[in-house]
This record gives sequence, structure tokens and C-alpha cells, in this order.
Amino acid sequence: MLSRIADSLYWLHRYMERADGMLRLMKTSYILSFDKVQASSMTWEPSLKIFTSLPNDEIERLKKDNAAALYYLFLESKNHNSFKSIITRARENARGVQDQITKEVWEQVNQMYHQINQPGLKEKLAGPGAIITIDSFIHFSDQFCGISDSTMPRGQGWNYMNLGKYTERCLLTAEFTHSFFKKLDFSLNDEQDIIFWRSLLLALSGYELHLKNYSNLNHNYNVLQQLAFDKNFPRSLYYALDRANKYLTDIAASNPVEGSIQLLRTYGRLYSSVKFADIELVEREGLEKYLIYVRKELNEFSRDLGRIYFSYS
Amino acid sequence: MLMTGETLFNQYPIASHIWDEMMSAEGIRQQYHSIYEAGRQLHLDDFQQKHKLASELFMSQGITFTVYSENEGIERIFPFDIIPRIISGAEWDHIEKGIKQRLTALNLFLKDIYNDQQIVKDGIIPADLIASCPHFTREVFGIQVPFDIYVHIAGIDLIRGDDGTFYILEDNLRTPSGVSYMLENREVTKRIFPNLLGDSNVRMINNYPLLLHDNLVAYAPKQIANPTVVLLTPGMYNSAYFEHTFLARQMGIQLVEGRDLLVNDHKVYMKTTAGLRQVDVIYRRIDDEFLDPLVFRPDSALGVPGLISAYRKGNVAIVNALGNGVADDKAVYAYVPAMIKYYLNEEIILPNIPTYHMNNVEERNYVFENMHKMVVKETNQSGGYGMVMGNSATDEAIKKAKENILANPRNFIAQPIIQLSTVPCLIDGKLQPRHVDLRPYALFGPNGINIVPGGLTRVALREGSLVVNSSQGGGSKDTWVVD
Repeated sequence: MLSRIADSLYWLHRYMERADGMLRLMKTSYILSFDKVQASSMTWEPSLKIFTSLPNDEIERLKKDNAAALYYLFLESKNHNSFKSIITRARENARGVQDQITKEVWEQVNQMYHQINQPGLKEKLAGPGAIITIDSFIHFSDQFCGISDSTMPRGQGWNYMNLGKYTERCLLTAEFTHSFFKKLDFSLNDEQDIIFWRSLLLALSGYELHLKNYSNLNHNYNVLQQLAFDKNFPRSLYYALDRANKYLTDIAASNPVEGSIQLLRTYGRLYSSVKFADIELVEREGLEKYLIYVRKELNEFSRDLGRIYFSYS
Repeated sequence: MLMTGETLFNQYPIASHIWDEMMSAEGIRQQYHSIYEAGRQLHLDDFQQKHKLASELFMSQGITFTVYSENEGIERIFPFDIIPRIISGAEWDHIEKGIKQRLTALNLFLKDIYNDQQIVKDGIIPADLIASCPHFTREVFGIQVPFDIYVHIAGIDLIRGDDGTFYILEDNLRTPSGVSYMLENREVTKRIFPNLLGDSNVRMINNYPLLLHDNLVAYAPKQIANPTVVLLTPGMYNSAYFEHTFLARQMGIQLVEGRDLLVNDHKVYMKTTAGLRQVDVIYRRIDDEFLDPLVFRPDSALGVPGLISAYRKGNVAIVNALGNGVADDKAVYAYVPAMIKYYLNEEIILPNIPTYHMNNVEERNYVFENMHKMVVKETNQSGGYGMVMGNSATDEAIKKAKENILANPRNFIAQPIIQLSTVPCLIDGKLQPRHVDLRPYALFGPNGINIVPGGLTRVALREGSLVVNSSQGGGSKDTWVVD
């Protein structure tokens, strides 16, 4: 497989995964913004902190204005991480590898791109149609996952795509978790009711699972347990790293180039630090430090991956 | 009351002094009967519905080009008219014979001109005409190409005059584009007129990518079972990028950019995640001057440094061959009938349009006196750029054109304006005649020349316009050859 193609496939799925995470967070933020409860101060702040590089005073201003916040996150072309920018970049990557992805996958990305560029979308987002619009994009995103899964041939391309997807997923979960726990100064003992956590769990599609699995009232512990270590929760750090590990191992086995052993070793260290950790260990080391470590190692891994497999220019 | 299909057809005007592909003075031509019969049953609404469906199909498949405004790209589709252009089997067989003859001669000319130059020595073509041609490429002189084939893929533009004769308008022997539109137009027609297509005995075109692929594999310089064939594209910002991905996908070959390739020890490799892999055949969609910065334009980042050295050594086949521009130069065009006589000892089957050379004083004076009947073209331009239509240009533009000609006469030719034939197009809820040309695509392989029946019909959508190029507001139609 051409290095350039591998690079594009990896990033196509990173962007699509980011777009998906973003949509879910926006949706919960939007719905929550109508609840006048204690947690409402958390509505737009996580999204704006994670997906923009705005200064704090701008965030303070935007988070009180539903339509403005949604517009900035969704459509603003000045925001390089807006949903529209991300989809545009995903489509650029897909366009560059059109002959390597199936027609169905290409058409799905292309359709999403045309949807985001449809006239009148700004007005829809500002009015009562906002939630329907976000839902329709979530639907597109779900379809993208399904179409990729049911049409893409298993092989090298598939491995790079999924490595991108799960790398991004792990980063998103770490980011989201970080931004919510930051409100509590990363304390695991501070008592928070489930309302506070509900938006985070909903944004990661894990709320129902949480209610089923955890009956005690130590919510902070429970949430961290699920988001970091739950083997069956598809957006936990562990699950994402475990899947990425599989695809990376397959890639290294079929492309035994210089540096691939070293890459596996670097990744293995990160993977172990989640696989063999537990809450007590994290508490001892400090949750903030732990989450930052995971993010930093993942970003470094992504850079090394690019150097070893994607260097074509 | 909705307009019926019958009224639509009956209101179609009968042209005088122009050949209409559907309508003659005696009524609807034989080959259009099936579409007329089917169209009569429909209403205007149905036609418009089909038009909308076709646009959506092009859009969702990404068969679009990007227009940039206010830093944002807007996707547009190339205009497509749903009423097919229909050619009878007998007409087509004549066209096919003519193109095969022409292509055979042009290919022999290229072999000759880059080797012995016998045609110049024999005084058939003046030496200064060749020497002054900007696309005569000395860098490829003497390079031996597989099977002596230079023009692997050709797009020959034809037009039809008012008496129904097909003329050759120009030859495109470098990297002709548009074949994906020919194929996609047919796929769209299958969706919007399914039964009609089946009932009309339309000759098949969808084997084009397979024929091309077989040829590409055959050009491989070594006898190996699975040669690596790639399609070299300038990248996704090129206006024909859709076509590049389309063809790569249809043939199952790698789509590469210049930065994916490198040359080492006169061999071409592509950079893969598993290391370097040798490339045997390059179907390039990049112009000659951008292919190799060591030989041609040093500022080009699209090509591959050292590519020409590998080509000269015979380690890689490049399709189409380099230097073909000398044969589709608009001044050399006038000598094609002579070439056919010289190389094949045959009379030309599909005639040229009379062509006046501007560096011949007598011809130039004649053209200057009759500017309003002439079209002036730059010899090394394509895509309708640098063209002046004498019947519609302003006095100012004509004056400017004359000055340009006098400054560099070799760079221009003039031809009498031919009223291109018209076909019915669905415009503003009516069937209206619009001018068209025809570009069949010919594939030259070790086993001879193949031309898929039909080709791309380009249509000038502006009323009265004779300029069909997509860069100048043209659209396209599906083209049927019916038996």
C-alpha cells in the first residue's frame, strides 16, 4: 500500500471519529442547556474547550448563547476544528484515496459533505430544527461506521483506518474525561450526583450501560472505572487501546520495516499502562497526571507512526 | 394542463442551413424514432424529474468540480442533458474506419519524426513547421517505445457540417480527458431511461476500462506475469481528478502522485508502507513539461526526477508517449491528409476542415479580408482557449487578433466557421436545438485499434454558441450508436 494512501486512510477515520464524538457532545450540551439545574454551567464549556482554541473570555461569552455556541462549533470556518472543517478534511482525505475505499464509503463521506454545505443550515441550527439537524448528522455518522464495516475489504487499508479510528477515540475519551474531572479538581471523593455525570456519559453513549452496571453511589469512581477500564464499553480507554493494538500488530506483521519493532514497543508501554492499571493506582499517581500521560503518549505514538509508515514527501 | 411529450417534440423547430441530428425536413430521423415514441408517452414533469434525478446522481457520486469563492469551495456538476444524442450504426461504421485510418497515420508520423524524419526529407511536411512546433520534444528523440505505439489513447474531435458530413475538428493525442463522462453519462441514462435503452439496441461502451487495462499490461517492458501499472495524477485539485480516480478504480490499478514515486538506478519505484516497489507502466495524466524536472520544467513538483532516464532505458513504459504534441499541433493538422497518402497510400476517409496558415502571406491576406467567416485558433492551445470566432467577435477583438497574428504568425491558423450540427436539449421546459461535437476515444494496443461506439458528445448550452468546451460553459450528453 502506498504510504500516502495509508496516511489518508488513517486520517480519514480519525476525522470521522472526531466528528462523531463532537456530534454526540454537542447534542448532549444542547439538550442540557434547557435544564435549569446545577449542572447547566457545564453545558457548552467542555465542547468549546475541547474543539476550539478560543480565549477564556470568549468561551464565557459563547457558553451562555446557545445559537452562537452551536454555530461556532458546527459551521464556523474560522474554527479549524469545527464540525464543518473536520468533515471537509475527512472528505479531502477520502477524495485522495477514492480508488482505495469502496464507492459506498466515498459516497457516504461525500454526502455528509454536501449536507454540511447545504444552504439554510445556519438558520436551521439557530432555530427549533437544531436537534433534528444534529440527529441527522449522527445518523450519517452511524451509517458511515456501518458502511465501512460492511463494504471495506479486510486488509492493510482496513488496519490503517481502524488504527486511526481507535487512536482518535481513545484521545476523545481522555479529553472528555479530563474536562469533566477538571471541574472537580480531579478529586475522586468529591460527591457529585449522577446529573453532573450524565452529560459526559451521554456524550460517550455510555449512560445506559452505567445505570445497568453501577448501583452504588460513588459516582466519581464508577464513572472513571467505566470510562478508563471497562472491557465491554466501546469508548473506554482500555477498549480503544486494545483494538488499536490489534490493528497495529497486524500492520507491523505485514510491513516489517525499520522502526516497526520500536513502534510496537512504545505502543506496548502505553497499552500496559491502561491494561494493568486500576483506580487505586490512578488515585495514587494522580488522575490529572494519568490522563495527561495517556494523551501525550498517544500523540507521540501518532507522530512515530507517521514517521515510520507515512513518510513519502 | 401539463405539456405532453408529444407537444414537446412537435414544437421542436426545423432548422434551415444547419444539420439537426434528430429532425430533417422530412420529419424525425430513423435513429430517433425510439426516443420519440417513448418521449411521447411522458409529460414535461417526467422529463424534469429525470433531469433532477440525473443531477443528484452526479452530485452524490462526487462527479463535480469545485468553484472557489470567498475562500469556500462550492461543488458544481458538469451540465448534463438527459436527451441522448443518437448516431446510426452505418454512420458510426464510417466514423470508425476514418478514425482508425487517421490514427494509424499519425502514429507512423510520430515514429518517423522522432527517428528518421523521412517525411520531412521527402518534402511532404516543411522542416520549419516541425522545428517551430513548441511540442516537438527533442529530449525524446530516438527513444524506442513498446510495439512502436505512441498514441495509446486518442480523443478525436468530430463535427458535422450542414450537409451532414462529419469533419475532423482536431486530434487530441496527449492526455485526452472526458472518457469518464462518456461512461458515467451512460450509467445515468440506464437509471433514467432504463427500458428505452434496453429496447433501442444501443451498442455497449462499458468495456472501455477493460480494454485499456489489457493494453496497459501489454506495454510492460519486461515479460512478467503481473506488471505494476499505475495512473499518475497531478492530484485532487486537478479539474479531471474525478476521471483519474474513476479510471484507476475501474481498472484496479494504483492512483499515484509524483511524490509517491522515485527513480533509482534508472528504475521507477513507488513508496509503499512495505518499502519500495518497482513500477512497470505509467498511465500519466500529467503534461510532458511537468513529468520530469530534470529534463523539462525545473520548477515542477508534480513529476518525478529522473523519470525520462528510466523511460529512455526502457525500464518503464509511459502512456501516452512523450512528444505527441507535435502531431496534434493545429498547424500540423493541415498535413494529416498528406500523411495518410504518404504512409498508407490511401485517400482520407473523414475530411479535414480547410485550414489557412497565418505564416503564408497569401492565405493570411485572404483570412484578414474574410475575418467574419473565420475562426482563428492558437496552434498549441486546447480547451477553447485563445479562440476568436469571427462572426461574433467585436471589432476590437478582431483588431487585437490580427495584431497577435502579425506578431507571431506561426502560432495561429484560421478555418472557415462550420455551423455545427444541433441536437434537442431540454432547456427551460422546452426542447431546443443546441450545437454539438463528438469525441470518440480510440485505444491503440498491440492487437490494433479499438474505438468504443459513440464517445462523448459535448454541447454548447448557450443559444447559438458554437463553443462546446466545458471550460467555456459546455455540457455533455450520452451518445448512442443504434443498430
